[in-house]
Amino acid sequence: MAIKDGNLLCMPSTKEIPTLTRINSFYNPLHTFDLPKGTEKHYQQQYADMYFLRLAMLKPAVEQKAEEAWRDFEIAGEKARRVDRVLDVRQGELCWVVGTVYMEMSLKPNILDDISKEHWISAPPAREKYISPGGDDEIMLEDESGRLRITGDFLSTTSYVTGCVIAALGTENADGSFKVIATELADLPRQPGRWERDEGQLALSSKKVKQEKPKTGKIAIVSGLEISGVSGDTILLDLLVEYLLGESLGGVEQAETGKITRLIIAGGSLAHSSPIPSREELAAKKGHKKYGYDSSAYDAAPTDHLDLLLSTLLPQLPITILPGASDPANVAIPQQPLHPALFPQSRSYANPPAQSKDQPGAFDSVTNPWEGDVDGWRLLGTGGQTVTDVLKYVEDDNVLDVMEAMLRWRCIAPTAPDTLWCYPFQDDDPLLIKDCPHIYFAGNQPQFDSRVAEGPSGQEVLLLSVPKFSESGKLVLVDSETLKVECKQFETPENAGELL
Amino acid sequence: MADKYKEYLAAQVLNDSQVVTYRALSRALKVHVNLAKQMLYDFHQKQNARKPGSVHATYLLTGKKHPNTSQHASGMLSQDGEDSSMQSAPFMSSIPEPESPTETISVTSIILVKEEDLEKIKAQLEEVTSIHIYSLEPGPLEIIHLLSVCNQEIARKYAHEDPLENWKTYGTIHNPNVKRRTTRVPAPPVASIALATTSKATPRSDGAVKIKEDAILSKARRGSESEGSRSGRSTPQGEPTIGAAKKLTAKSTLKRDSSDIFKSFAKAKAKPKEATPTTDSAEQSAQEDQPMKDVSEDEYEEDYTPEVEISKEKSDAARKARAEREEKLRQMMEDAEDVPMDDAPVEAEEEPPSAPLDKQPQPQEVDEPEAVVTVAGGRRRGRRRVTKKKTVKDEEGYLVTKEEQVWESFSEDEPEPKKPKTSAIASATSKGKKGAKAGQGNIMSFFTKK
Repeated sequence: MAIKDGNLLCMPSTKEIPTLTRINSFYNPLHTFDLPKGTEKHYQQQYADMYFLRLAMLKPAVEQKAEEAWRDFEIAGEKARRVDRVLDVRQGELCWVVGTVYMEMSLKPNILDDISKEHWISAPPAREKYISPGGDDEIMLEDESGRLRITGDFLSTTSYVTGCVIAALGTENADGSFKVIATELADLPRQPGRWERDEGQLALSSKKVKQEKPKTGKIAIVSGLEISGVSGDTILLDLLVEYLLGESLGGVEQAETGKITRLIIAGGSLAHSSPIPSREELAAKKGHKKYGYDSSAYDAAPTDHLDLLLSTLLPQLPITILPGASDPANVAIPQQPLHPALFPQSRSYANPPAQSKDQPGAFDSVTNPWEGDVDGWRLLGTGGQTVTDVLKYVEDDNVLDVMEAMLRWRCIAPTAPDTLWCYPFQDDDPLLIKDCPHIYFAGNQPQFDSRVAEGPSGQEVLLLSVPKFSESGKLVLVDSETLKVECKQFETPENAGELL
Repeated sequence: MADKYKEYLAAQVLNDSQVVTYRALSRALKVHVNLAKQMLYDFHQKQNARKPGSVHATYLLTGKKHPNTSQHASGMLSQDGEDSSMQSAPFMSSIPEPESPTETISVTSIILVKEEDLEKIKAQLEEVTSIHIYSLEPGPLEIIHLLSVCNQEIARKYAHEDPLENWKTYGTIHNPNVKRRTTRVPAPPVASIALATTSKATPRSDGAVKIKEDAILSKARRGSESEGSRSGRSTPQGEPTIGAAKKLTAKSTLKRDSSDIFKSFAKAKAKPKEATPTTDSAEQSAQEDQPMKDVSEDEYEEDYTPEVEISKEKSDAARKARAEREEKLRQMMEDAEDVPMDDAPVEAEEEPPSAPLDKQPQPQEVDEPEAVVTVAGGRRRGRRRVTKKKTVKDEEGYLVTKEEQVWESFSEDEPEPKKPKTSAIASATSKGKKGAKAGQGNIMSFFTKK
């Protein structure tokens, strides 16, 4: 029970208390997921283009991996042959083919079902899992030519979801299904070096690249603040704010707080703000006309509270905020930045909209998913919807497994547009991972967890599953020098009930 | 200084039975937060030595829990104790699963503890790295939420302080790299950011959007509230900016502490447009325009956007009359929603004239076929013919709507005589009273059943 200078249970001292200064945050966001503005944004495109594009872009990488793995593969003297299209597979021939996985699951929501059946009863609650307990789900491999049902014991050893691109090795059976004995996937793409992009930009602007790297601090990640406007959940938020400001605690702990250079809010800041009800819905909801302010129509309390929270932190701590599933942004990913009108106080720390592409201010409202460079590291993060949706396809509940798999599939949102709403990209799919991040985080997950995933050419990715703050009281800190993870847990007499 | 905190704490905690957190104390006395924590401790010790149990403390302590308390070595200290990593089909079998590093993730707990639980919690921690008193209160806290109420108060009370400067005083961590846009001065938060039932408002820092108290009423009544109509003319306002602002306004409107808002506006806004109203109050303005704007008391109206220069004619009516009028009005809104809106009679000479000319609640004026305008003494006045819809109930009880052409006189201000904002309220009030005699029909006359 050693308490050093953190003990403030003493008489008021007269000596000067040194002020702490926060370390600068080196922040260089990317705008990968920004959608075109205004009239350039269309929704007429077919989603088929996305699958086509995804396959076309990932095929070379997957083929290369498969080529390396199965070049000399032989069974009983028969060499594995590469087949270009899934429909060119011939019965009894050992071959491999690249295609997009499609999961045929009876429990998966199906638009055709919705249209063909008339539902007179209210819809059942959304499913936790799409897997049917009987195991009668089918896996298909498709490309632009057609679909091939794939089977085999091998498939049960791994998990696949709709939309991931794989190479499958096997033979076609008499019943027309393709028996798979091995699969390959694209695996992690190239990983940029630390500071690579920042240096590149400096070099372009013909400035000298400093050899000595600045000292960096820690990146704080939190998600699921879930400000609801209901009383009782705010004391935890107060503790968080006071901690980040460096007001609470004392001594070493306080000094440690000064090392936090940036707070990233990974979605879920507001509890019940999405989807935003349309004007018609509001009108329909109102049974009778009521004069005066109707708080059932719109309650500004949570938004104001969030704005106050952010504007309290901002003078001291730069913040990047991603929208999440419950935030007032568009529902389809990529979710666009939360509108500055939500933050009347905080937005004075942000860039004016016209200069949104310049070096951002302390407050940066960004897309979900989002990528950018913080302290030299490439960060890729989501508000968690992509992970949550993939989890519905698999029995396993391990978030990190899913996150790692998504990196290896090189697709952040494989299940979009099948079961995850998504903007119909036409010419380019930003959801495909082009550069391997150093830190990949997903917000609003059931619990805190972290792991390092390693790639074939030495890439190392720190995977972070960030829990909801409102439920767990956890704040995740990543040291920018060592990429070491630590976790702060805030407890009050109320939420610590189980732990006592 | 030494005794100041004792006085303050004695007054707050002992006399007023308030909860005082270290932040509140630090703000109140303008001292470093760490010093405030020590002051709380000192006060707590001395008071309880004098009279045990007179002051109750809440502590905030930090430390790592014993490994046995945190079930998982990997630091997955899940709240509900459920195990997480269910081993099942791994995602990639072709890739050898990298062994997850066994290094433990350090979980530091920051725990808010009531005095009576302090020892128990301390025992759970391997090492207490920091401990201080979070708050003092007269007795054990029933609801821990009271503490956040206290914090909200801080946010409200000290909202005007420049957050970029106060780190020196309170000892928050200073960040020299944060810059604030200086182009617009953000309004300080009006921070009754209370929850649930408590209402609150945040004034828009933007010049474009102003919150008006009376939007409560105006929103309800008018589909399109035409804000600050251009002097005398009763054309509906079509500016998109206004439309947008209106939406926001209506939404953000809550019942609120008017004094709060008042204060913040006074600070944040360059010009509350208050001076102008007096000028025309005596003037007979278009009769059928009803005083929608000033039904709410205490609140003067902000102009919307600086760029949309609307010369608003406004007036403050007699304040005494207002309170009761508003009350009546409210009742009416609730009871009689569907009172057919007849023409406002042009009676009511004794009623105060009113501010922005609003069209919406009126019987529709279809056009202004002709108007005779004279300019005299800085005012334009004249008569014009308007077509009005008049709805009357006939013998069989049906509502019949007729169109009638009526002559009416109108006047409008020249835009120039705008007075500076200062002393706005006082003058507005007094003059408003005077003007009340001469004006045209007020809102009540509009809503009474014929």
